[in-house]
Order: sequence, then structure tokens, then C-alpha cells
Amino acid sequence: MAKTSQPSISSQLSEQLSAQLPGPATGGDDARLETLLKNLPGMAYRCLNQKHWPMDFVSDGCFELCGYHRHEIESQQVLWGDFTHPDMIEEVDRKVRSAAESGQPFEVEYRIIARNGQEKWVWERGRAVDRRSDGVVILEGLITDITDRKLTEAALVGAEAYAQAIVESALDAVISIDNGGAIESFNQAASSMFGYRSDEIRGQHCRSLAATSFYREFDRYFQRSQTPAKRFPSARANSLELNGCDKYDNEFPIVLSMREILDVGEKKYVILIRDLTEQRRAEKEVREQRDMLAHVDRLNTLGEMAAGIAHEINQPLTAISMYAQSGLRFLRRQTPQLQRLEDALEKLSQQAHRAGAVIERMQEMTRPHQSHQEVVAAEQLLREVHELAEVDAQIRNFIIVLRLDDELPNVNCDPVQIQQVILNLLRNGMESMRANHCKPGSKIILQARTSATEVRISIIDDGLGVSRKLEKQLYQPFATTKASGMGLGLSISRSIIAAHGGQIEFSNNKTRGATFSFGLPRHSG
Amino acid sequence: MNTENSQQLVYVIDDDEAVRDSMGMLLESADLAYRCFSSADSFFDAHDGNQRGCLVLDIRMPGMTGLELQQKLAQIGSSLPIIFITGHGDVPMAVEAMRQGALDFLRKPVNEENFLERIIHALDQESGSWHQKLDRDQAQQRIESLTEREREVFLLVAEGLANKAVASQLGISERTVEVHRAQVMKKLEARTLAQLVRIHLQSE
Repeated sequence: MAKTSQPSISSQLSEQLSAQLPGPATGGDDARLETLLKNLPGMAYRCLNQKHWPMDFVSDGCFELCGYHRHEIESQQVLWGDFTHPDMIEEVDRKVRSAAESGQPFEVEYRIIARNGQEKWVWERGRAVDRRSDGVVILEGLITDITDRKLTEAALVGAEAYAQAIVESALDAVISIDNGGAIESFNQAASSMFGYRSDEIRGQHCRSLAATSFYREFDRYFQRSQTPAKRFPSARANSLELNGCDKYDNEFPIVLSMREILDVGEKKYVILIRDLTEQRRAEKEVREQRDMLAHVDRLNTLGEMAAGIAHEINQPLTAISMYAQSGLRFLRRQTPQLQRLEDALEKLSQQAHRAGAVIERMQEMTRPHQSHQEVVAAEQLLREVHELAEVDAQIRNFIIVLRLDDELPNVNCDPVQIQQVILNLLRNGMESMRANHCKPGSKIILQARTSATEVRISIIDDGLGVSRKLEKQLYQPFATTKASGMGLGLSISRSIIAAHGGQIEFSNNKTRGATFSFGLPRHSG
Repeated sequence: MNTENSQQLVYVIDDDEAVRDSMGMLLESADLAYRCFSSADSFFDAHDGNQRGCLVLDIRMPGMTGLELQQKLAQIGSSLPIIFITGHGDVPMAVEAMRQGALDFLRKPVNEENFLERIIHALDQESGSWHQKLDRDQAQQRIESLTEREREVFLLVAEGLANKAVASQLGISERTVEVHRAQVMKKLEARTLAQLVRIHLQSE
């Protein structure tokens, strides 16, 4: 059987390698053939198409491939089927058998286990070249190690699957678009955010994910992102907040950012979108809680000021009652004194308005209040809160000195909450002055100074000052040095000022007492 | 010295202008003369001991408080009745004020009829004590005109001793006692022993 096979191996090899080797392979020249076969990557063989493919010829490449020498294989001490991975041997056998039956060449890829136990991927191509007298088919072919290629392939597939898995499991919507803005891919999160299946939305312009009222803004952002020179410097700045719009026309707040994908050929972009609904809801909740706490604090403060307030209302009421009685007496005289009656009524009316104004101020403070900023005249704001705090100062026998710059500008703020902060700070200051045994008639200063950007409001007291120990717990809710009171004042004041974009600062005065201050942004224009 | 017809005034002392003004008008409607002060200090500065009438005094004021004014007036021997008015239901202060001899303690807003009644009561009281004071001053003045010996005789006679007993106590004759006694009666403008005794009591 060896006799007839030699030329056919050479003819098959020349057929297989003609593309790779310079010049045609020449048949019959054994030495040249040996050289040729040695240079081949892999191993050429001839075998019987029987169980485990007993081989009667292999080239030298067999050693590198499976760790056995030619003579070990050609003497059939080991069979090729012994190397073939048991998981794959059936499949290989089926393919080879069917090709052999029909006389067609075959190509298979499978794993082998080398002598040292190492697994390798091989590629094999072969075909039936002859038939023995007993009908057994003789095969010839070439087997090459393709392990490296297989590993690279697997790595590539893995990397892609990895990227795909990230995109699909991301909580943010990840959308890729082409240069014109048409959507190319739409991940799982995008589908659940916008309600479109990825095949429904593919090809549509990405603008359709924005609410109609935001189209212009979106387009501007889109153009800007496509122009590298105009691109925003940081990723954070390179984002746009707007309302998105889902398949069912529901609008919801989103933030998106767009980036160019490095790709050969046409430019592509990836857009990341985050649903802000939850975040907005949480923000709203925080704001509402702050408003509610502020309201509780105002009620509490007014509660503590109740004696002063009662006095403040009692004064005009006393006057009203006396004017009324006087009027009656003037009227009931034998000769009614109408002029004096008129005087009495006039003054009575004034006092009624005075009492009304006090009550109105209190109502402003006690009403539940949804924080909102408006443009406010700083001077009026300060004069009003000064009047309110005077109520408390009178009871304590202290004097609040209002020290204002000429022509204070308008400021942006929530007037009720800012007045609450000032009232808190004034009352804290007076409390500290009381604890410091300040004489009746001692002064606390409410000051406002204008700078280019803000109106700085300071409360300067004559009290104990802020000790190291006190400093630590200054803003802690429910921490208080007062005998009465909830200890909410400063912590609420701080969060109110924080919501105005500022902070409460304090320092001890040179002589004695402390100064608390904060800034309110000037209204431009 | 002042005459009997020096006028009684209601002194209104309150830091709230409207309260002062309305109180003034009420007093005017009741034909009571009044004068207003916006602080305890300004009243005290104007006070010279000759004021007659009563005080309507706010208890809490900037500067000197009502209670402090009450104390200062007591220190200089003023007997002006004080009606305290307060906007605060301040019990400890009321107790303190009453302990120091305040006539009344009213809360704002006051019942006007009651308020006027109390004022008239205060004025009557002041009037009584003023007359008493006037009698005392008069009696003391007359007693001061007596000689040393006449004074000794006067005191013993006013205590109810007979001339004889007076004579023996002073170591002088009964006749001399009679002469001194006649002089005492004349100087003190007393016609009877009873009148003499009353003058003695008034002077104390």
C-alpha cells in the first residue's frame, strides 16, 4: 500500500501548497519532497479510514504536533484516534466518513491531546485517495496546529461579549448613533426608559427621545458635541439636562452626555442617558422636609415669643378700648363733645390697624410655606424682621440697633425663611447676652453691608461668644444651651442659607460676644 | 408751704405713646387733670416732692422700670399712691409691687369704669393723707413756736397730767405751770384741753 501512495501524496501536497510555495512541486524527487514536508507547518499523513485511523506514513511535523516520533506512529504503536479529544472524535469520524464515501475532500477543526497532556486545536484537510483490495479507503491529508488562532478568536469573542454585557446591564440608557443622528443601537435600559424595543427605534433620529419643547436645545447640544473645538472641557460640563419623552408621550427629566466613538471610517457617537425622576423626587422630598422643619421652627420660635407678641397686641387693644370709652363719655355729656368723639374714633382706627399689622406679621411667619426665591428689597426685609425681633428684645430689655448701608440693593431670596434665620440669630445673640449678664439696655447689632456680589448680613452680639466646645455642636439639631427651646434654630438656619447657596459664618469679637453672618446674592438688574 | 387748693394730677407713665394718649383722653373725658411721661426717668427728674395726685405706672419700660421708680419714690418719702398697669400677667412682679405698698395692680386692657374708680379712690386717699400732712405740718409749726419750758409743760399736760403733777415733775411752782399753760394754749390756738391733745397727736 505504500507503493501506490507516494505520488498521490505529492500530488495532493502540490495541490494544497501551490499557492504558498514558490514554483511547482516536482513529483518523484524524494529528497526534495522530504525538505518540502519538513518545512510544512503541521504534519502530512496517509492512513486507513478505519477506527482510530492507523497511519502508515507521517511527516516529521508529527513530533511538534503531538509529541510522538514518526516511527512510533508509522509502526502503529499509537493511533491518531488516541490523540483526538474524546468529546470530538465522533463528530470528526462522521465528517471524514461521509466525505470518504462520496470521494469529496474534507476539512475539520478539532482538539487533540498531545503526549504531554497539552490540549491543542488542529485544522485538518484530507481526502480519499485510494481503496484497498478489501475495500478499506486510504486517506491522505494535512493536520496543522491552530491553537493560537483559536485562542485569539476566543479572546475577541469574549471581549465583545463583555462589552455587550456591560452595555446591556447598564442602568443608564446607552444609545449609539451615526453621524447624522440616526439611532443604531438601543440597550435594555434605554428600552425600559423610553418604552421602545430596540428594533422599533433603530434608524430614527435621536432627537425623538427629547420632549418637543427641548428640541432646539437638543439640536444645539448635538451640533456642539460634533464640533471638537467647541466641545465642553470636562465630562461633567459636557452634559445636558432636559425632559425626555417616552413612546407613550410621558415626559420625564433626564441628563444626557454624548461622546464620539473612535472608529475607522464614518464618525459615530454614543449617548448616555440617565433618568433623573428619582433624583428629582428625592430632592423635592428633602426640600419639603426642610420647609416643614422650618415651619415647625417658626411656630416654635413664635411660641417662645408669645409673651412679647401678646404684649405687642395688647398695647393697641388697650388704647382702642380707652379711646372707645372716652368717645362714649364725650358723647354722653349733657352737651356732647363731638369734636373730641371724632378725635377718639380717628385714633381708635389707627390703633386697630396697628394691631392688625402685628397679627399679619405673625401670620406670615406661621403659615406653612413652600420655599421659593424672589426679588426682595433688602432694606424692607431687614426693617420688617427688626420690628418682629423688637418684640422679643423689649421683653428682655435689650436694644436692637439696625445698621444699614445707604441704598441697599435688591436681593434674591426667600424672604420668610431669611427673616426666620435673622430672627433666630438675633434671639440666640440676646440669649447669650442674658447668660453673660448684660445690663438692661445693652445693644445687639443687625448690620447690612453691600459688596459687588452680595449683601452681607451680620448679627453682632455682646454675649458669651462661641467656645471651642460649643463650636462642635453649634449646628447639631436638638443640641442647645438654652433651658427652653428645641435646639433646631441654627441647624435649620444653616440649611436655609445652604439652599440659598451660602453658609453661615461666625467669629468671636475682639472684646466680647460673637458675630454671625451670611451673604445674600444681589439681584442683577 | 403749699396751700390747700394745690391741684391733684393723674401722672400717666408709659412708654407706649398710644397707651399714654388714650389714657389721657379717658381721664379728660372724666374731667380729671393729668400729665403724661414717656419714661420713669423723666418723671423722676421732674419730681420735686410737691406733686399731688396719683401715679398710673407701666411696670416694664426701657430704662428705669416701674418697680424701680416705686422704690426711689419711697426712699425720698413720697406718699403718692401708685396704680400699676401691666401688659404681662406677671404675678411675681405684682406681688412685689403690692408688698412695696402699691395701691392697685391692673392688667391691660383695663376695664375703664373700674380704672376710673380706682383713680378716684387713689385721689381721695391722697387727699386724706395730704390733709393729714397739712395738719401735722401746722401742728409742728405751732409747737416749734413754744419755748423750751412751754414745750415741757405742753407735753405733760397733753399726756393728761394735772397742773400739780406737772409742777412737781418739773420742779416748779403750780402757779408758774399755769402761766406757761396759758401761753401754750394761746400759741397753739387751742381753747380746750381736748384741742391741745389733738394737736399733740397730729404732730406725731
